[in-house]
Amino acid sequence: MTSRSLGQFYPVASPVHALDPRAKIVATAVFVVGLFLIDSTVGLLFVAASLVALVAMSRIPATTFLRLLRPVLLIVALTVLIQVLFSRGGATLVEWGIFEVHSGGLRLGIFLALRILLLVSSAGLLTATTAPVALTDGIEDLLSPLKRVRFPAHEVAMMMTIALRFIPTLGEEAEKIKGAQAARGADFSEGGPLRRARSLVPVLVPLTVGAFRRADELAEAMESRGYRGGEGRTRFRELRFRKQDALALSITVLVLLVGILL
Amino acid sequence: MTLELKDVSHVYAPGTPFEVEALRGVSLVVEPGEVLGIVGGTGSGKSTLVKHMNLLLTPTIGEVLVDGVDARSLKKSELRRRVGLVFQFPESALFAPTVEEDVAFAPRQLGLHEDEARERVRESLRVLGAEELATRAPFTLSGGEKRRVAIAGVLAMKPEVLILDEPTAGLDPATRQDLLALILGLREAGISVVLVSHDLDEVAEVADRVSALHEGRVRAAGTPAEVFYREPAQAPATVQVVSLLKGSRPEIGAPVRFKETLETLRALRGV
Repeated sequence: MTSRSLGQFYPVASPVHALDPRAKIVATAVFVVGLFLIDSTVGLLFVAASLVALVAMSRIPATTFLRLLRPVLLIVALTVLIQVLFSRGGATLVEWGIFEVHSGGLRLGIFLALRILLLVSSAGLLTATTAPVALTDGIEDLLSPLKRVRFPAHEVAMMMTIALRFIPTLGEEAEKIKGAQAARGADFSEGGPLRRARSLVPVLVPLTVGAFRRADELAEAMESRGYRGGEGRTRFRELRFRKQDALALSITVLVLLVGILL
Repeated sequence: MTLELKDVSHVYAPGTPFEVEALRGVSLVVEPGEVLGIVGGTGSGKSTLVKHMNLLLTPTIGEVLVDGVDARSLKKSELRRRVGLVFQFPESALFAPTVEEDVAFAPRQLGLHEDEARERVRESLRVLGAEELATRAPFTLSGGEKRRVAIAGVLAMKPEVLILDEPTAGLDPATRQDLLALILGLREAGISVVLVSHDLDEVAEVADRVSALHEGRVRAAGTPAEVFYREPAQAPATVQVVSLLKGSRPEIGAPVRFKETLETLRALRGV
């Protein structure tokens, strides 16, 4: 509960949080596509500066946001390393055994690192500023045109909502079962990786069985309450696309265009 | 053995916004061969309390003593063998393909010889009246049968103290009666039992002494008669309410007053 990881919702009040989830989803999608159209480091830096301003507006503390990025730092570091060591072109900066570091490789490494960081940051900002339920509402609405070709947009969104809702429940359940097996002498910290993996069997089996039982019960409870899919279903939270949402989208497109031209 | 909790407090997630003080200065003793009842409402700290008895949770403040010795100085596996803990709804932790295998889990974890382990499985299943289930798959059993098997799985460690957290919750009357008989049988065999329950009738029936928890504190302690009748005003809200509903004495069943409930329902339906 205390550790925050990539993609976790950070509930504070901010103009970014208040945006329509559909606007944020579309803006993020546009942003991600736009990133791949930018081919200069200067352009990326300009976009990065805009994103930093946006994060500041979202009232998410910088340290918290940087912690969101921690899991991808390894990938970024590896990308830079590979580019620096194996890309040729430009002036030779260092020669060391079979390795040569060229200025071109260094530049490419920085460019790719920046692109990955921006990709992850934009997606992270979306999920950090949008409650899971709002996110699935937005996805459902954006997918709803596909209903005409029989795509179950509502059902897909409902499944996502349920999946998100039950992550903490399953976590609690796992803790409980671990405790019960520990009371019967199970030890989850001793031995090598193989032994530790095997010691998890007494936890994973009941957890899986419990998840299936829970799913059955939930389905029956939903049917008992008259749930029968998306047809004709109204919403408690109506989505409203307002002026500031249109503004946010336009600014995103504008920033990307400038980035592409730079 | 004597199991003692001395001034135990427990705080969940300290130093975060989710901080909760679940226990505040709880002291109690489980004497050898007695049945100690622990009663209290939901969220009163009962389950947190029993998890301290085999150190699944360690006290934030205070200590747990086994025969006067700090339990933290004992080997964990040794402590867990001597203090058997049966969780609430223990059947949710059954995992093996057969009942036998499941009950044998604890003896095997203790490193017992295979013959000895089998003997213990047989014995524990017999005590719980579940011998004929030995070769069945746990997932095909009824609720009551699963509960019996799960309790046998802890009893197979031959604990000196057996802790049962809400052992009769959601059970059929027959299994419930069998479990209460088992508790008395264990006491006769010199094994202490800690019975956590919010069913005051069954606690009054089998417990030698009772501790009543409310908001993480022991608010009343003594024999069931003392706790349930002498100072009703000191008892936690649930004890008072149940006593009130049942005509102030747990064993005398009075019809539950649902007039208010009925009126509320009528008002809702606009009758």
